[in-house]
Amino acid sequence: MIETDDRLPLTLITGYLGAGKTTLVNHLLRNAAGRRVMVLVNDFGEIAIDADLIESQDGDSLTLANGCICCSMGGDLFYALSDALDRRPRPDHLVIEASGVADPTRITEIARAEPELRLDGTIALVDAGSFDALIADKHIGGSVERQLAASDLIVVNKSDLQSTDALSRLETRIAGVAPGAGQVIAQFGRVPLEVLLGRVVDTEGPKAPSSCGGHDHDHDHHHGHEDLYVRWFLSGDLPFSRSDLAARLAVMPKGLLRLKGFLRLTEDKSWFLLQAVGARAELEPLAKPPESVDETTLVAIGVRGQLDPAELNRLFSA
Amino acid sequence: MVQTVVYAAKKIITMTANRPEATHVAVRDGRVLAVGSLDEVAGWASSGEDDLHLDETFADKVLLPGFVEGHAHMMAGGIWSYTYVGFQERTSPDGEVWDGLEDIDAVIGRLRQIDAELDADAPLIAWGFDPIFFTVSRLNRFDLDKVSTSRPIAVMHSNFHLMTVNSRALEMARYDRDTNVMGVDRSEDGEPTGELHEMAAMFPVMRRLGVDFRSLARTEGGIRAYGKVCHRCGVTTATDLINDLPLEDVEIIAAITGEESYPARLVPVLNAHTAPADQIAAQALKLREKSTDKMRLGSIKIITDGSIQGFTARMRWPGYYKGPDHGIWNIPPEQLMITFETLNAAGVHMHIHVNGDEASEVTIEGIARALTKNPNPDHRHVLQHCQLADAAQFRRIRNLGLCVNLFANHLYYFGDKHYEVTVGPERAERIDACATALAEGVPLAIHSDAPVTPMGPLFTAWCAVNRLTVSGRVLGAAERIPVEEALRAITIGPAYTLHMDHEVGSIEVGKKADFAVLEEDPLTVDPLKLKDIGIWGTVLGGRLQPISKPE
Repeated sequence: MIETDDRLPLTLITGYLGAGKTTLVNHLLRNAAGRRVMVLVNDFGEIAIDADLIESQDGDSLTLANGCICCSMGGDLFYALSDALDRRPRPDHLVIEASGVADPTRITEIARAEPELRLDGTIALVDAGSFDALIADKHIGGSVERQLAASDLIVVNKSDLQSTDALSRLETRIAGVAPGAGQVIAQFGRVPLEVLLGRVVDTEGPKAPSSCGGHDHDHDHHHGHEDLYVRWFLSGDLPFSRSDLAARLAVMPKGLLRLKGFLRLTEDKSWFLLQAVGARAELEPLAKPPESVDETTLVAIGVRGQLDPAELNRLFSA
Repeated sequence: MVQTVVYAAKKIITMTANRPEATHVAVRDGRVLAVGSLDEVAGWASSGEDDLHLDETFADKVLLPGFVEGHAHMMAGGIWSYTYVGFQERTSPDGEVWDGLEDIDAVIGRLRQIDAELDADAPLIAWGFDPIFFTVSRLNRFDLDKVSTSRPIAVMHSNFHLMTVNSRALEMARYDRDTNVMGVDRSEDGEPTGELHEMAAMFPVMRRLGVDFRSLARTEGGIRAYGKVCHRCGVTTATDLINDLPLEDVEIIAAITGEESYPARLVPVLNAHTAPADQIAAQALKLREKSTDKMRLGSIKIITDGSIQGFTARMRWPGYYKGPDHGIWNIPPEQLMITFETLNAAGVHMHIHVNGDEASEVTIEGIARALTKNPNPDHRHVLQHCQLADAAQFRRIRNLGLCVNLFANHLYYFGDKHYEVTVGPERAERIDACATALAEGVPLAIHSDAPVTPMGPLFTAWCAVNRLTVSGRVLGAAERIPVEEALRAITIGPAYTLHMDHEVGSIEVGKKADFAVLEEDPLTVDPLKLKDIGIWGTVLGGRLQPISKPE
């Protein structure tokens, strides 16, 4: 059992060359908002961080003014990960920008195996315009398919260059390859950090009731993407049995991207931390919840127009 | 006065066409002055003030050019700081003979012995365990618990993709019946068996036990041990075929190899995976300038795919015979093209790891494009391993001026698995196709990839000549090559792939006096005994280096 969840969360970002990984990483670092994010850039990759964010450079390592760090993986994942875990103070979140054809499971399995890491999610970026050609490519089509199939969230990037019809066809095509993954459409990788990295509930606390819709607390309003998302919040005396909870998690509604919460199971009244991204849910026993939490508390974010908060209410209230 | 020594030998195999065999070699200033009969080489004495001295040390020995190991790793030396538990007898860099361990009890016995000598809080780490030879049962945590339940123990298997650990190590990694991690092997009752497959599952144990292979290659001790490994098997020039080469390490390598007693020339090859290609090109060119007589720099290494036995090599249709296709690109093909183009344009010599035939195909295509754009005469880029190339690929390889360094040792160690499981009978029989490469006129070298398989050029040659597997199968009789060709592939062949064939790899006028000194004649022994020929030692730049017996 864990006292508090002090594991280092790891988010893996995959996507073929040109899908917009570097742009997304810059967006993420620019909007880290107090979280010390450490980004490891794959071998062969240039650390292309916007110059205005950089405070100092030391060899292959960049320190940003907001406390984030960006390093080259140096061709060796083993040492890069060990270094991230051994850093003091340890970063709040580790992001790995994988090479264009990396097999995500090679990295995510380390996060599952290493007790001090927590796999937060695998995010694949897709260039909306080149998907069909990539999948058909005889040398890399298989790798790209495997990347998508192993993803929790898929960001369909460069969506502004596509018609609505084309995007809708693409969504179906991607769902065929990765049925479990949540899909979001974006331009320039602009996806709220609470979708990309999840929200640190125990420090930020649940902020708003379900009625808050799409008007709160991301830190980059100027991109105007807020109304693409809908948020949901629920708290109450809602004990679930383990099997009951598993059954509910198995039928999560369409459009749900992330779900996180503290809850108690009927079996032993002990607390658990629930974290779900895409179709993957993880339940971790917890010694005690954060002080602000005294009853079951759940928060979610999903795609506006797809996720119906009422459906989540029905799913978890009944 | 110029010192000239004439060495008399039972036979000198020169690896040159004009004078393939001789009885005497004259050495001056660390270089070959003359090769021939005593009368012929003695002619140099009358030319001036020579003090021509006849040395009979090798009167009953056979001299060959010092062997050149074109694909091995410095780690082959430092790995001996861990305990060897392999099936076959091996000699440590210091000459200590470690018996082969033929069953699990023997492994436990050796570990117990080491356990008794080790500091109380040190982990016990072993290497070289090879279950390929064990058919009865697999090593598990309970076997290792018999050695110790308080000290963490990790036994690395010879392929470096697997380890077996004891209960204490499992506990440190917090592996138990609730663990759901790919690669953490479990028994029927749900408990971990102690066997951990692949990097992900091994990572938590390696981190907690401080198993650090890269550092093994970077320490002074590791560099010295590597020299000894080379020396013991007759190698006078050896690669370290991937190294990050930070300047502080280069200085250490230069200093150590610069000592007169360091027994080999090293060719450390820069890891091209640590930065974008233009930066790597600049770094390689800068490193080239730092080369010394015994440390050659300037080449780079690129790894394109995984391994055949791990099912991670990139395979063309019809893919793997039995088992899942986990083929991985280490670099996206598109990025490979850019990398090849950039490095080739900068004039940087490349060693390119390709195992599967799709990896070789994409690499050949990429090099073709790079060379079309920036013609680079005499580039000698090398396809390393290149295990599944067919005749058509070898023809393109020849046409492009590429070289191959084939993994002959693989035939023995993994040949049965390739025949039965990974690629099936037909392709297994032409794996590491030395005869086809020669027939198509491709410059050929063969290698050990030590420590993946033990370094030993005569063993590597034996593999290429006989193509025998562990089970005794002849894997592709048509791809066997004559002993003479195999000897070329461990001397002048690899020297060519390193752009060093004008200096080493044959015994002829003007070249370095680097010799392998053998107890028997490899051209007349039974080819099945090639690997068993005794090695007296080497000569490096005219310096006699007998192999010492351990004290």
